Amino acid sequence: MKREALIGQIPLVTLVVLGAVIALSTDHFLTPLNLTNVLVQAAVMTVLAMGMTFVILGGGFDLSVGSVVALAGCVAAAVMMKAGILAGVLAGIGTGAVIGIVNGFVVTVLKVNPFITTLGMMVMVRGIVYLFTGGEQVPVDGGLPDAFLAFGVERFLGVHYFVWVPILLLLILSWVLARTPYGRSVYATGGNREAAYLSGIRVDRVIASTYVWCGALAGLAGVMLAARLQSGQPTSGEFYELTAIAAVVLGGAALQGGEGKLYKTVIGVFIMVVLGNGLNLLNVDSYWQRVAIGFVIIAAAAVDQLRHRRR
Amino acid sequence: MKLLGIGLAASLAAALAAAPASPVLAQQKTTIGVSLPQDDNPFYIAMKRAIGERAKELGWDVIYVSSQEDKAKQINGVQDMIARGVKGVLISPIDATGVNAAYDAAAAAKIPIISIARASTSPNQTLHVAMDEKQIGRDIANWTLKAIGGKGKVAMLTGPAGSPTFKNVQDGFLEVAGGKPGVTVVFSQAGALTRERGLKQAEDALVANPDLAAIYAANDDVALGAAQAVAAAGKKGKVVVTGMNGVPPGLRGVKDGALGMTVEINPVLWGRLGVDVLAGYLKGEKYKQQVYIKHELIDAKNVDAHLPKK
Repeated sequence: MKREALIGQIPLVTLVVLGAVIALSTDHFLTPLNLTNVLVQAAVMTVLAMGMTFVILGGGFDLSVGSVVALAGCVAAAVMMKAGILAGVLAGIGTGAVIGIVNGFVVTVLKVNPFITTLGMMVMVRGIVYLFTGGEQVPVDGGLPDAFLAFGVERFLGVHYFVWVPILLLLILSWVLARTPYGRSVYATGGNREAAYLSGIRVDRVIASTYVWCGALAGLAGVMLAARLQSGQPTSGEFYELTAIAAVVLGGAALQGGEGKLYKTVIGVFIMVVLGNGLNLLNVDSYWQRVAIGFVIIAAAAVDQLRHRRR
Repeated sequence: MKLLGIGLAASLAAALAAAPASPVLAQQKTTIGVSLPQDDNPFYIAMKRAIGERAKELGWDVIYVSSQEDKAKQINGVQDMIARGVKGVLISPIDATGVNAAYDAAAAAKIPIISIARASTSPNQTLHVAMDEKQIGRDIANWTLKAIGGKGKVAMLTGPAGSPTFKNVQDGFLEVAGGKPGVTVVFSQAGALTRERGLKQAEDALVANPDLAAIYAANDDVALGAAQAVAAAGKKGKVVVTGMNGVPPGLRGVKDGALGMTVEINPVLWGRLGVDVLAGYLKGEKYKQQVYIKHELIDAKNVDAHLPKK
């Protein structure tokens, strides 16, 4: 039991050790400027990875989120120019939610494998982004509303507005998962679908709902990225799905579903972001950076396997 | 679907080959094939449009095949267009060696294949309508050195790995700036040509080097991201950011002071030059192996004349 608890904290220990090693290697890591940079750099991915956690808890998988980030950002920017900030933000989130509904429908009603469903959706949505934008940024001349851009730059209580979004979401969504019957049904469905079904949970609905969460949060992440890049960028979000999945795994969630915690996913995101930031600060060759990041992902998955075998 | 397409192309080619002497066919429009590496990059979008427009002015038809940075797709596309009987191919190869099969196919069909922007090492490349990459790099370096008073720390956000164009520009830059006493390159990272990446790497470069004097960025998108990081760190005007390409957002960046300088390599003029060179070649004119498109440094002094008209 003690060993279990210890293994459960491996992600946190990894992050702390990683931070300590980088801090010892460069004086620049622990400066206020760099730490706020890290928070801002992690914000978009945190929102995305929290959505991914829902899907993975429910026993699924979503590869389409990177493309959704790009589409939602471009849609939000376009709508914003015509109908105002609020409409733009809602349109971005709504775009993601709609794609999530489609994913959920295909997976639960048409019974297509989640990997295939969302792989197809990833390619299709990327195509839609290019059709929608003609491959150019939105708006082409720049000029998103100042209040929206300020969201990517201005601060509240010393921390960027940008960073408050994942903080609030973490609190609310953790409560949803841990304290509501819905949250428990997500864990139950992912953990043992048959048992969940027999105990009266409508598993298809629960699974479909996790894709909607994931899509909507990816939409929100796209809106945030548009604020940070001061435009909707059709090329943005590439490979985000892989980073998000890696973060969830680094956070110790089981890829089979039913096991994982949102706050640990956030730790997983920070492991990825701090690693990238630290290697940049040390000016480590970008090719080696890829090797290092790939290695960390595999190591995390290996630890995950080890833990499941022990049980 | 693809098989069907190839089948159709093949039967079309057979039909064309069967009737070479027909006067009707001889009077038909000249058709050229065009293959660019990407169809989602503003630079290639503008080039593709310009090629189409210039070809139309000459009374030509254009077959365009998308390749999306997929080498197999580019090779297949060129083979398909050759099968459809194009008179010449204008290609921007995805990389220097990966699509040489496309050049071989053109040579086998005895039609010219002219590289535009990116180049190939294939011996079958008819010629290359190029930008003078090394010289552009040297020009950026000279401009930067002047802007920072001849000394200081420089961060380089270079182009994607394996792209000879960006490597050449970078080499030209280092040829001038690398040897200068007092100038040190303290940060150098390769990466994708996106604003996102420019922003993130520049943030980290500025943290590691608070006294940074200049940021060299591989293109305007990367530069605009870097400029955002500079502004966020409250160092706008203190850290010089340079880009390349002269796309409209880049020019606006120069106008509002976010970028110190960009190099305008006008994709419209470039595309038109490519078509003109192909036209000249088909008429029997002689060209050198490399035909250069001229480039121009755009900074605060001359940006107004280059901004896109509203």
